[in-house]
Amino acid sequence: MIFATVPFPSFTLESLPQLPKLLVEWLLMLVGAPDWLVSIGGTAAMAGTVVGVFLSAFALLSLVERKTLARIQNRLGPNRAGWFGILQPVADGIKMLTKEDIVPTKAEWLLHLAAPILIVVPSILALGVMPLGREWVPVNMELGLLFFFSVGALTELSVFMAGWASGSKFPMLGAMRAISQMVSYELPLIISALGVIMVTGSLRLSDIVVHQGDFYFGFIPKWNLFTPWGFAAGLIFYIASIAEANRCPFDLPEGESEIVAGHMTEYSGFKYALFFMGEYLGLFAIAGLGVTLFLGGWQAPLPFLGWVPTWIWFFAKLAVIIMSYLWIRGTFPRVRIDQLMRFAWLCLIPMALLTIPAAALWVFTGKGIVSWVVTVPLLLIPWVILTILFNKRLAPATRTYTFADS
Amino acid sequence: MIIPLLILTPLVLLAALGAVWKARPVHAALLLALSLALVAVLYLTIGADFIGLVQFMVYVGAVAILIVFSLLITRPGDEAEEIQRRPRSMVTGLICTLPVLAVLLIALVKGNPESAPAVDAPPLSIAHLGELLFTTHAPAVLAVGVLLTAVMIGAALFARDTEKPKSNQPEK
Repeated sequence: MIFATVPFPSFTLESLPQLPKLLVEWLLMLVGAPDWLVSIGGTAAMAGTVVGVFLSAFALLSLVERKTLARIQNRLGPNRAGWFGILQPVADGIKMLTKEDIVPTKAEWLLHLAAPILIVVPSILALGVMPLGREWVPVNMELGLLFFFSVGALTELSVFMAGWASGSKFPMLGAMRAISQMVSYELPLIISALGVIMVTGSLRLSDIVVHQGDFYFGFIPKWNLFTPWGFAAGLIFYIASIAEANRCPFDLPEGESEIVAGHMTEYSGFKYALFFMGEYLGLFAIAGLGVTLFLGGWQAPLPFLGWVPTWIWFFAKLAVIIMSYLWIRGTFPRVRIDQLMRFAWLCLIPMALLTIPAAALWVFTGKGIVSWVVTVPLLLIPWVILTILFNKRLAPATRTYTFADS
Repeated sequence: MIIPLLILTPLVLLAALGAVWKARPVHAALLLALSLALVAVLYLTIGADFIGLVQFMVYVGAVAILIVFSLLITRPGDEAEEIQRRPRSMVTGLICTLPVLAVLLIALVKGNPESAPAVDAPPLSIAHLGELLFTTHAPAVLAVGVLLTAVMIGAALFARDTEKPKSNQPEK
């Protein structure tokens, strides 16, 4: 073994997340491993970094969510395990892992086992194509955005498998609700992303971030959110992403007061933990995509803040989005299933379709004053009409309750 | 390139056979989804990334979901009956599929791959693909769009309640 022949590559704060990859590659080169092993080791270390970072974020979020909700509801939240309840995720994890794994007699064990695994895999795959920093793009695919939505399609199938294979009523009902909701809200989600693709001219997620790099007047960032079509599409994407992540006020698939826990009812122990994990990783993935598409990804919000490592900006924006999800969860009541479907098909999808011509006009008229004049009425007038219509005619009928109202 | 093909093709065929053979409709639907997903992987291994991902998104994400969802709503009949009428359905199935197979085989043999040189073209970039679709092949794309719209309107007409829906507004 010859030490010091392989110098350790230099790194800065910007490339800090690459450190595990560089370390593994350096160690492998030091012991004289062949090239293919070095590249495999580096890739594995990089994948491990992404999974590790997001799993710790998941543990942190599970505590932050309980604390925030508790404060909103004027409670204290978990405060027994460790300092301010900081060890609560560890306690939860130990509890989950030591619980008995119950498979119902009527369940189909193979599908019952496959469902929780298949719900975690697409979320992790989707996180793999996300540009987390200028130099921290785990897999820089040319078709990144398409890949994100393709693997996301697997989630619906695994929810169905969970609901059907459990062989019980509540999971079945929950799966039916979940699938109809996900199918309906996937449309506005994908359609609102199309405008970004048209303006950027690329499906590569890092290109989309680079494209949002400049500033108007030297201080307003050129994020897609600050354009008329981008604002509308971003709003639609935000609402649809809450529904895709099955979060309140769209958490009908697992409405505790109605159908126990939806498709997760018959799961216990580690399998339940996997569902929980898949849900939160999916939340990170969809919020991260929103940040990438509309909030400029890892770009700094103000020109003089460029010295901060870019991955800090990505995670800061992600944290803001996720905190807003928590706030909404603590504030809004759950909607009814007919309200949910009507809202998607009559409001979100038409508006999302309108953002496509708006984005096209935006590019066609040169992204200047004229573009504002053209695209703002194009989006605003239908929006107003739709709002009036929805409030007057299309709104779901008020339900009357035979016994409660009299 | 030949090794993934050798591994994947039997798996695709097995999954497809299972989709036909399984008596329980949900199993058949899930196996169909599996075989479609494996075809997507096949596309990815030969470098057709766009087609592979779209195949996955459309067939696994939309078609398979529609099938399992319709199974959930309709409650298909029991398996014993299905197994009982299996000989008859096998005959009708063969009558339907054999001509298709024959046509495909004839096309494959007559296509004569030796005469056409295998073009070692570079993988088509997505921008180039989009340009081709919306310039040279624009009529075809538009025709498909019209067809799909017609299908959607037809489906909406079928799905509409024929009788007048009862209003659940409170009586004034």
